Amino acid sequence: MEIALVLSALKVVGYGLGAIGPGIGIGIACYGCCVGTARQPELQGRLFTNFILGAALAEALALIGFVLAFIM
Amino acid sequence: MNALEVLSEHVPELQESFNSAIVIGNSTFGLTQYTLWMIICWILTLVVVLVAGRKLTLIPTNKFINTVEYGYQFVRNDMGEGVIGHGFKKHVPFLATLFFFILISNFVGLIPGCKTPTGTISVTWALSLISFLYFVFWGVKAHGGLGYLKSLAPSGLPIVMVPIIWFLELISTVIRLLTLAVRLYGNMFAGHMVLGIFALAASVFLTVGIQSFDLVSGVLSVPWFLLLIFMYALETLVAFLQAYVFTTLSSVYISLATSAH
Repeated sequence: MEIALVLSALKVVGYGLGAIGPGIGIGIACYGCCVGTARQPELQGRLFTNFILGAALAEALALIGFVLAFIM
Repeated sequence: MNALEVLSEHVPELQESFNSAIVIGNSTFGLTQYTLWMIICWILTLVVVLVAGRKLTLIPTNKFINTVEYGYQFVRNDMGEGVIGHGFKKHVPFLATLFFFILISNFVGLIPGCKTPTGTISVTWALSLISFLYFVFWGVKAHGGLGYLKSLAPSGLPIVMVPIIWFLELISTVIRLLTLAVRLYGNMFAGHMVLGIFALAASVFLTVGIQSFDLVSGVLSVPWFLLLIFMYALETLVAFLQAYVFTTLSSVYISLATSAH
């Protein structure tokens, strides 16, 4: 019982550690998108699509961590 | 009686309610609640779109038709023309179907008592498989079978780098299947779990406060309830955003697969 509890707690900690990188990455991507849009508002659509794509790539790592927390 | 202890006793019950359970028929031939709600959402999508598309006029006659047309135009302009560019018209029906189905599924889940079909991995897995097969199909159609495999690696690389980059691109293409499914599932499931926890906390704190004349617990139920309202508003945003992200990523993948490098 104790070991099972520790193991499941460790999974959550592992997922939390895995979410740090994507969190920073999406933050930087969003910053770039905002700054770019403020400078050239006519490019907003193109920038936002690229932001979504970049965020999706960064988010993939967090999602893999999410899956691993479930299946391990 | 401590309110937090009562809360932790009730949490497994909440988790249990998210598992698939058979509501009609038996385990060989029957429907789980998620399948049932998926069929309901499917019918709802058909009804909304067909009713709106029945009386098309140049100037929309009522607000409902206007809303659906706005949604369609949003998919067509933002996700079709803006992302795919040339030759986007043949992909718009697919993208619009995805968008409306996911949007309606996500919003149905926000109504208390209803289940969101996208809150289970099976439905989102099927959706992402459809999207994956669709963009691979159009990629193969545009480049040919071998040509599509070759076009995974961008052209103009040094010859030594091509196998490594090609392999990495292959992995990142296959992993799209996983990320599309898990992104939608994770967002909807986690959002509903958070809503459930806050609703449970608000009711448990109030019940304990009344039963054992504990003023602190009773008062603490108010911030839980306010948090619940805040999270509910956030989930409404997330429900729209995830439908948007899923459709946009599908169209980005289509444009990556069909465009010549």
